[in-house]
Formats: sequence, C-alpha cells, structure tokens
Amino acid sequence: MSLAMRAGLGLARQAMLLAGIAIAVFLLIRIVPGDVVDSMALEGSLDEEAIAQLRADLGLDAGTLTQFGIWAGRVLQGDFGNSLRFDMPVADLILAAVPTTIGLATLALAFGMALGIGLATAAVLWPRSVLPALVEALNLWSIALPTFCLGLGSILLFSVGLGWLPVIEQWLSPVAILGLDIAGQVAKPLHEDLKEAATAAHIRTARAKGLSPARIVLRHLLPNALTTVVALGGLILAGMIGGALTMEVLFGLPGLGTLAFQAVSGRDYPVIQAVVLVFAAGVVLVNWLADLAQRALDPRLRR
Amino acid sequence: MSASATAGPRRAGGISGTAVGLTILAAALLVAILGPMLVPHDPLVQELAARNAPPDALHWLGRDHLGRDILARLAAGTRISLAVALGATLLAVLVGAGLGLAAEALGRWPSFLVFGAFDMVRALPSILLALTLMVALGVGMAPLILALGIAFAPHMALVARAAWRRESAAGYVAAARVMGAAPLATLRRHVLPNIAGALVTQASIIMPRAITTESVLSFFGLGVAPETPSWGRMISGATRFAEAAPHAVLAPVLALCLVTLGFALAGDRLRLALDPLRERGQ
Repeated sequence: MSLAMRAGLGLARQAMLLAGIAIAVFLLIRIVPGDVVDSMALEGSLDEEAIAQLRADLGLDAGTLTQFGIWAGRVLQGDFGNSLRFDMPVADLILAAVPTTIGLATLALAFGMALGIGLATAAVLWPRSVLPALVEALNLWSIALPTFCLGLGSILLFSVGLGWLPVIEQWLSPVAILGLDIAGQVAKPLHEDLKEAATAAHIRTARAKGLSPARIVLRHLLPNALTTVVALGGLILAGMIGGALTMEVLFGLPGLGTLAFQAVSGRDYPVIQAVVLVFAAGVVLVNWLADLAQRALDPRLRR
Repeated sequence: MSASATAGPRRAGGISGTAVGLTILAAALLVAILGPMLVPHDPLVQELAARNAPPDALHWLGRDHLGRDILARLAAGTRISLAVALGATLLAVLVGAGLGLAAEALGRWPSFLVFGAFDMVRALPSILLALTLMVALGVGMAPLILALGIAFAPHMALVARAAWRRESAAGYVAAARVMGAAPLATLRRHVLPNIAGALVTQASIIMPRAITTESVLSFFGLGVAPETPSWGRMISGATRFAEAAPHAVLAPVLALCLVTLGFALAGDRLRLALDPLRERGQ
C-alpha cells in the first residue's frame, strides 16, 4: 500500500473516531440531570416565560437528534456557541487559550526530547561512565513522581519558600517538570534500542573498518532508532497533554487546561464540550502524524 | 555494565528497590486498614483557634486551615485514596479486560466495535475524560471510581488483547478450538490463567495513576465529596493557605509521592517476575 493511501485511510479512521467522540460528548452533557437553564433559574429570578424563551434560544426545546444536528452543523463551521459564564463566543475563548497550551507543550517536548535523546546517545558512547545509571534514575524519576506532586512541590519551594518572581516560575517550572518527565520516558527505551542495535552486523563492520564511536552512533545507530523516538513521541505527547492541563491550573497559565478548569467549576457546558473536542482533535491529529512519520522513516513498516 | 545489572531489579547500596517499594506499600496498606486506630484525633473535628498551627507534641503534623489534625486526616485519607484506586483498577480490569477479551473471542465485528469505543476513550487525556465524566455523574466515591475505571479501562483492554493474540497463536488454543470448545469457554478456562500475569502487571501501573488522578480531580473540586478527607481534598484545601501553612500541603503531597514511588519500585520486580517472555529463575 502506498504512503498516500495509508495516510488517507488513517485520516478517515481518525475522523470517524472524532465523530464518535463528538456524539459521546454531546450525549454525556445531556445525561446531566437538569440543564443549564435550570441551574440559571435556580440562581436568578427567571419567570416561566423567560425560561421558555431561553430554552428556545438555546435550542433546548427540540428533540435530542435535532439538537445534535444543529450543534454538529455549527461546530463544523467553527461555531461552538456562547459561553454561559463569560458571555463570549466559545471559539474566541478557545482561540485565546490555544497559544499558551501549544507553547507549553512545544517547549516541554523540545526540552524533554533533547535531554532524553542526548542522554541516551551519550550513555551509549560512554557505557562505563555514570550516564547509563543516570538514564535509569531519570526513568525511575518519571515513573515514580507524578508531575502533579512535582508542581506542588515546586510552588512550595520556589514561590512560597524562596519568593522567586512568579513570572519566571510560572513558565520555568512547568516546562522543566514536564520536560524531565518526557526525558525519563524517552531515554530508557531509546538507550535499550541503541544498545541492541549496536550488536548488529553492519555496526560491527563499521567498527572493523575503523570508524570512530561517535560517528557510528550519530550516522549509523541514531537514524535507525528515530522510529522509536517518533513512536514514543506520539504516545508521550498525548499523555503529556493531560499533565500540561494540570500544570496550567497549578501555575496560573491562561491555557486550555485553565479554561477547562473554570468551565468545570462553573458548569459552563458549551465550553466543556468545546475543550474536550479540541483536545480530542489534537490527540487524534498527533497520533495520525506520528503513525505517518513512523512509516515515512522506516521502510520496513511500509509493506 | 553487564546485561544482568540493567535487566535486574533496581539496586542501590545493597538494598533492593523492591524491598523498599514493598515496605512502603505494606505500610500504606496497614495505615489504610488500621487508620483511625493509629491516631488519637478525629479527622473531622475542627478547632478554629488552632488554624494552620505548626506541628507540636500533640499534633505531630500540625493543623490545617480549619484547625483539623493533619496526621489524622492523612491516615483517614490513606484509606479513601487506596480504596478509590483499588476500586477503579478492579473496574478497569473488569470492563477493559473483560469486554476486550470477550469481544476478541467472539470475532471480528464485536472486536471492531468494542475496540473502536476504547480508541475513542483513549483519544482523550485521562484527566480530561475523568473530569468530563465527573461533571456528568456528580461528586462522590462511586462516581469517582466509575469515572477513573472507565478512563483506565482502554489501557487494560489493549494489554489484554495483545496478550490474547500472543496466546491464541499458541497450539493449545487451536487444539481447544478443534475439539469444539466454545470461544468464551476457551477464553475462561485456557487463556485467562496464562495472561493473568500481564493483567496484574498492568494493574500495578494503573493503581498509582488512579491515586494521582484522584488527587488532581479533587484539586479541581470534582473528586470525593468536599468533607471527605482524601489526599486530593487535603491538597486542594491547603494550597490556598500555602503561605501560612506549607506543612498542610507538604504532608499529603509527600504521602502521594511515597505511594507512587512504592508502586514504581515494587512494580519493577512484578514486571520481571510475571513477564512470560523472560527466562524463569534468574
């Protein structure tokens, strides 16, 4: 099967997944006993007429299927409705929050990947140094210490204890915490992979003809191990998004995580729906790209 | 570095990480069972005059923002956090492995549908998924266990499917099929005992993540009911007063770290012991 066809099929599958998630999210919010208008009526003094009017405006008086049709049609046009709390289009809230989340994720991923790949490569080059043990230690670090705990610990230590500038702390800590977590997850499998690949015949040949170890690792081993990194990268990015969400709330970064937190505590259903859909679309897209990149990088997978 | 040094359980200074991990977990379990008997204070009694009081001889870990004894709450929270994690993990095993294996045994279409649904669940970060489910289900122990169980079920299903596929390539499954055994009976009698190890290993990975997620959800105001002393509720209550009483945040955070560390260290050994691909007796 050609790469383009694979890509098309993969995309169709991911689109189906996303449509399924959209339906599930829509239904889930409908399960909640009492709708938005009920909770607004409880808080304020809406009379019967105003309640009926509000229901009609929000399309809550139609059947579930009709409601879904209307909602899905609007979502496809980028219209997620209005936030119930902020009295603003949800799409605007999302667009304002996305750069922060993408920035945090990109910085953490870049730092984590650079550290993880660098450490694994160095550990293969100097197997008798302290580096292989460092790879193990970093791996244990990321398994054993939840980013949530590290975030809270960092706030206690730097903001409360040392009184550092919150602005630096706000970005530095989440990026460092998420990055170290990623590095720990990448370095160990990559290190194992590189060590195993180092026993292959073509590496023995390269060594026999007198290539330097650095050249062997950088030119012959690392390119082959890239598929491991890409496969892990997709998984890790999807997993890290959850951690980034928590970090945003902890450190007060105005991203999608903070938006989701505010929406959940304010029962702002249109925003919750939109955030869930945006996250799902992001994860689905990343998975698709990772799969594609893996096939492009490794000819063995194209068969 | 010899191969055995990296393949074996983690070791530092002659003490194996496994022993440390198991000790931590045993201690946590003991506290969860004995809980209230260990600490002479009531975790719910407020003493507003002693708000955010630092540790003293009577109250070893000090008091929180409502003047409640932190040690007593920590002990009570151990029971709740472990119970939630255990319940969620069991549910994930039942739903994930149960549904996944049954669908896989029944054929192509059931498998396609069930794993399609699991893929949908997996496309969301587990925090966000549990958050959304909690919004729909409301706060409390049962909704929390349900939400976490659903969030972690797909991971279990994938592990179960991989193990099942490996096993069904083996001769004994084909033999059972040839002898006319029903698919579900083959699954229960022949395959399940052989893949139990993989499922237990995955459960040991899910447990600490369930504990952490419980804390994060409670931090978002969605976990157990607000007055219940879980670790997450303790953290979320105390963070607002972190300046005045850092010890009130530190205690539950350290407890959380310690237990996840225990699972990581003990789980390492479990993975080695139960991995069917590894040679026995090394």
